[in-house]
Amino acid sequence: MRVELNCPSRNRRIHTHTIFRFCRSKCHRAFKKKRNPRKVRWTKAFRKAAGKDLAVDASLEFEKRRNVPAKYNREQWKDTIKAMKRVEDIKSKRQAQFILNRLKKGKELQKEADIREVKQNISLIKSPAACTQKLEEKMAQVIQESDQEMAAE
Amino acid sequence: MAASYNFKKITVVPSATDFVDIVLSKTQRKTPTVIHKQYAIARIRQFYMRKVRYTQQNYHDKLSQILDDFPKLEDIHPFYADLMNVLYDKDHYKLALGQINMARHLIDNVAKDYVRLLKYGDSLYRCKTLKRAALGRMCTVMKRQKQSLEYLEQVRQHLSRLPTIDPNTRTLLICGFPNVGKSSFINTITRADVEVQPYAFTTKSLYVGHTDYRYLRWQVIDTPGILDHSLEERNTIEMQAITALAHLRAAVLYVMDISEQCGHNLHQQVELFNNIKPLFANKPLMIVTNKIDVIRREELSEENEACDQLLAYRVENKMRSKKVNSVLNRLHLSVPQQRDEKVRPPCIPEAVLQRKAAMDTDKPKKKTERDLELELEEDYVFDMKKRYDLKNAEDKYDPIPELWEGKNVADYIDADIMKKLEDLEKEEEMREAAGEYDSDMSDEDEETREIRSMAAKIRKKKKLIKMESDVRRKVQKPTLPRVARKDYNASEFKSQMEELGVDMADKDNAHFKRARSKTPTGLKRKREASTEAGSRARSRSVPAGKVPRDQSGIRDPQTQQKVKVIAKNAQKKMNQFGKAGESDRFIGTKMPKHLFAGKRKQGKTQRR
Repeated sequence: MRVELNCPSRNRRIHTHTIFRFCRSKCHRAFKKKRNPRKVRWTKAFRKAAGKDLAVDASLEFEKRRNVPAKYNREQWKDTIKAMKRVEDIKSKRQAQFILNRLKKGKELQKEADIREVKQNISLIKSPAACTQKLEEKMAQVIQESDQEMAAE
Repeated sequence: MAASYNFKKITVVPSATDFVDIVLSKTQRKTPTVIHKQYAIARIRQFYMRKVRYTQQNYHDKLSQILDDFPKLEDIHPFYADLMNVLYDKDHYKLALGQINMARHLIDNVAKDYVRLLKYGDSLYRCKTLKRAALGRMCTVMKRQKQSLEYLEQVRQHLSRLPTIDPNTRTLLICGFPNVGKSSFINTITRADVEVQPYAFTTKSLYVGHTDYRYLRWQVIDTPGILDHSLEERNTIEMQAITALAHLRAAVLYVMDISEQCGHNLHQQVELFNNIKPLFANKPLMIVTNKIDVIRREELSEENEACDQLLAYRVENKMRSKKVNSVLNRLHLSVPQQRDEKVRPPCIPEAVLQRKAAMDTDKPKKKTERDLELELEEDYVFDMKKRYDLKNAEDKYDPIPELWEGKNVADYIDADIMKKLEDLEKEEEMREAAGEYDSDMSDEDEETREIRSMAAKIRKKKKLIKMESDVRRKVQKPTLPRVARKDYNASEFKSQMEELGVDMADKDNAHFKRARSKTPTGLKRKREASTEAGSRARSRSVPAGKVPRDQSGIRDPQTQQKVKVIAKNAQKKMNQFGKAGESDRFIGTKMPKHLFAGKRKQGKTQRR
């Protein structure tokens, strides 16, 4: 049996006999409402088209629908299964990295925002008076220590 | 140029009464009907003249239509003219049409006269009677045409049912004695369905059928039988046949019945033939012997061999009318000239030849599964996989994995998958070496974390402040001034500052309020005096120097007493009704019964 997922929101397959199958009723209902998958944000079609997911990569070329079935050859199938597992690993790694790279920019912006926030509104949690107090104390301590040293000498 | 007639499209000729009804009702509907005697006389005259003229016009138009549609015997093909003469009698026909024409003329005259008279009508009544007279006369004229109209209607109906014989095209005419088999012949050749019966004169009029020969359309005309007597004694039916013979330039098939089943012997038939010979002038002629299944030619007795012109009947008539001859002369089949001795046989593809050969030979039959089943009986197992055609025979019975982790294994099958995998691995190594997959540790050091936590605290604090202020602002109660608030005192201030990290331990005697008050000093002396007395008690809620409301504007205690009394009196009503203040407009009962029900002692109850 062959798993044919032609949920247009997950994985679009173009058929000449136009039978569509869906993974769940959410996709089916969206299809019936004639929604364009390229505009519905949670679909793979949107994500790939908008550059949110890895779309062009060597590891993605391995899984492809072949219209001409190949005759069974034990060696070939063994190799294929091994290769498949490895390819999947690499693919998931690369996809994850792609998304991470995309989100890096956000992290930087967040950092900058934090610094700005702290600079502007530090007085809400730490009074400047406290800082000066501490400074005075420190100075007092230093003076004391220096006095003691002087005395010791 | 004679107008082309279409016998099927002649207008319906209504009967006389119908005709009158039609025209008069049309006049009534289509002309104005309202007239009063106080109208201007010119208008009245106009009104009635219009009616008379309208009626005349209608009659004229309809009669003209009839006269135009019926064919003039001089203008149509002589064949049809003769046919119509035979069927409808030329004289009668012409007479009827002449009568109609006359009627039209009379109606026109009537109208003309009465319109002239109407011009001098001096009252509504006179005009009206004149119009009545005019219309009446016109209608009487029409009523007198009753017979002609009936006759013409019948002619029209019959004319439209005549078979469409094109006098100019290729025609075959079949004639002969009654009952010799003319209709049967035409039934076999064409799609015509003529009645065939054993009695004579089954066919009473001309019938047309069409047949194809040599890619041309031929008309075949079946005639009623002709008897052997002189022209004057012929009846209408025979005359139709004669007419056809006389006028149509056709090939004639003279059918003879050798078996004499028609009721006339061969001699009589030959006699007839000789009598109508003049009609065959200039036409290709064929004598057809019919009913040869009954009696064959050889069996004929000698005295009947007088007919030299007897020919055998064949299905394919070699009819040669002059037209076909001329066409044949212009046709020529061209064959390419042999340029060398090479034989060029027809080209048959190999596959066809092979298949032909295969069909011929008897190959030994293959052993089928069914045979095997019968052989093994119980041991037989239907094994689909045994006929698999794979490189290694052992692979045939392998269980083939199809899915892995929701993916089809077959989608990954590729001849050079291992090579591709190698390339991919290399690429991956390069990427790792380049540091693509290294996690970014730069944002995990102490400082950044501290900054992040402080920013979070700040944001939280901001939210709290916002929430508090929202709460404070949304409440609609009368607000106390800031200085009277509960959390606006020294101890609160201390605790807040401590939260922010400032050391407030040794600040007991600190003066946290303003050194000086904000209130202006230039006040009236008397007020100051009065305020001094009260201000000691009010140190917080009222700023120093401010006069309490119930004492402001009062000069001395006597007026103050009066003021108090007045104030209390004003409050009484409100207190009585339980009002909260002077702005409280609550009404307990909107419709107290004593005001809205019952009779009045005096006065009206119109409104309550």
